[in-house]
Amino acid sequence: MAIFAVYVVVNLSLNMEFGYTGIPNFGKVLAVGGGAFVAAAVPGRIFAGMAGIEGDYIRDNIAVVSGVNAWLVDNTGIGFAVFFMTLGLAAAAGAGLGLITSYPVIRLRGDYLAITLLAFGESIRVVGNNFSPLVGGTLGVQVPDPLSFLPGEVRFPVATIGLVAIAACVYVYSERTMRSPLGRMLRAVRDDEVAAGALGKDTIRIRTRVIMVSAALAAIGGALYAFYAGGVIAFAYDRASWTFWPFLMILIGGLANNKGVLVGTLIFVTLRKVIIFHKDSLAPAVPFDVAWLDFLLLGVILLVVLLYRPQGIMVEKPTPTIPHGRGPLRSGARRAFDLLFR
Amino acid sequence: MAGILSVSRVAKHFGGIVVLDGIDMEVGRGSIHQLIGPNGSGKTTLVNVITGLVRPDGGTITFDGTDITGMDLYETHEEGLVRTWQIPKPFRSLTVIENLLIPASNPGESFQNAPLKSRWRDGEQEAIDGALAVADTVGLAEKIDTRSMELSGGQMKLLELGRAMMSGAAMILMDEPIAGVNPTLAHEILEKVTEICKAQGITFLIIEHRLDISLRYVDGVFAIDKGVVIAEGGPDEVVNHPGVVESYLGA
Repeated sequence: MAIFAVYVVVNLSLNMEFGYTGIPNFGKVLAVGGGAFVAAAVPGRIFAGMAGIEGDYIRDNIAVVSGVNAWLVDNTGIGFAVFFMTLGLAAAAGAGLGLITSYPVIRLRGDYLAITLLAFGESIRVVGNNFSPLVGGTLGVQVPDPLSFLPGEVRFPVATIGLVAIAACVYVYSERTMRSPLGRMLRAVRDDEVAAGALGKDTIRIRTRVIMVSAALAAIGGALYAFYAGGVIAFAYDRASWTFWPFLMILIGGLANNKGVLVGTLIFVTLRKVIIFHKDSLAPAVPFDVAWLDFLLLGVILLVVLLYRPQGIMVEKPTPTIPHGRGPLRSGARRAFDLLFR
Repeated sequence: MAGILSVSRVAKHFGGIVVLDGIDMEVGRGSIHQLIGPNGSGKTTLVNVITGLVRPDGGTITFDGTDITGMDLYETHEEGLVRTWQIPKPFRSLTVIENLLIPASNPGESFQNAPLKSRWRDGEQEAIDGALAVADTVGLAEKIDTRSMELSGGQMKLLELGRAMMSGAAMILMDEPIAGVNPTLAHEILEKVTEICKAQGITFLIIEHRLDISLRYVDGVFAIDKGVVIAEGGPDEVVNHPGVVESYLGA
């Protein structure tokens, strides 16, 4: 459920970018990793400074973070304040990364844009691995737990509820934004950029903004994941987990439909859990290591979706901002049906 | 009649091919002018250059007293110029009314305001009222909730006109608005253009080959060939011009 919440945040940001605006961001991992690295590098140092814990943050990381967690038991308020500040900082870092990536590539289109963003996405892991003062290089770092004050057995459920609540906020923000004149304009830019330009839309600026806001949301997702996992190690931020899987999820769910994002993410996360838990039972039946089943089956699912239902489970539909007051009035039951199934 | 658009010595070449070779033209405010010329003579390129889709290599373009040479596509729109496309470019997945609402600039189009409905509801309501009126004018009232990709070719042309009207533009440049449209609908489109021109004082410059249909609606004609204006004046004058007859109409 917690993983679901994190992926919902990342996927909503990808859907805003790819589903609504048509920017094929194959470098989603850049912003996610950026957010996670902020969560790994910043709050621990702040807490250590406030608590007066000695030691090099990277070299003596485990000792320092244990000390911080012990200190946080008595300083819950500061813990939460720094937690939310970190999310804000991660969002700012994400937006900054978005601006940096969009600057040179914004005039590229389609495949060229995708491949350039893919390259940007690769860079974050390389930086994290090789620049140890940031997130401890190949050894990684621990992330302090703002919920240290809770007893061990309730900490996990509470963290999950918190993540789901934050994901719900991002969902509401995203949905309201996309059901506004802005969402309509983004779909117009996606459908025909030149025509949108001729009707007075500064498409370059719009695309830059979308990349920035979307990167900020993805960075929040990354930071949440870092707090949830309790540690950050650079190689965990690879293109499969944080670029290709989000694409798979929104393709399953349906592009440009935030409800589809929820459905697609739920299906994906559940399927993956099932595969991971049960793949060993297939060991006698497959002539290779079952570890590969994870990727293989997900690949098969992607192919099936693209071949038989390329629009995804939930299709894109018009998202009127406010009713125009003409046209057939629909009954309440009909509206409920439409809401759920169209 | 004061000129709203004046084009002076505008040139454009693509590599070694000279497409516009010093175009001069003056379009009067509130008039309907037609632009004719053989295929490849530079008509569409001229519209592209005026609206800022491509930058000219020389010359100046003045619109309503402002130098718009080299402005971007969206900037010329802000100045009050809007164009339609030879091949309609509707926003395919948007409904007709959504298409019509795109040109209306709305505070809800920024990331700061979009989630707060109260900041943009009034503007949106106004735009919707306007869009409904435009849909009535261009005869798409029955189709407002249809996705534009499901429209017929002629309806897409009407949608193009509707979107241009929604822009609140002072001048509309139309690239072949009636090509591929049946004569009845073609007359309807041009009658609407005339109506809009008279009622709202909007200036039109129309690229069109169907002289048999269009000439009776226009105030003046520019004929271009090989990137230069070879004739201009009233419809009768231009179609009887020897250069036009030779290069365009055929003997």
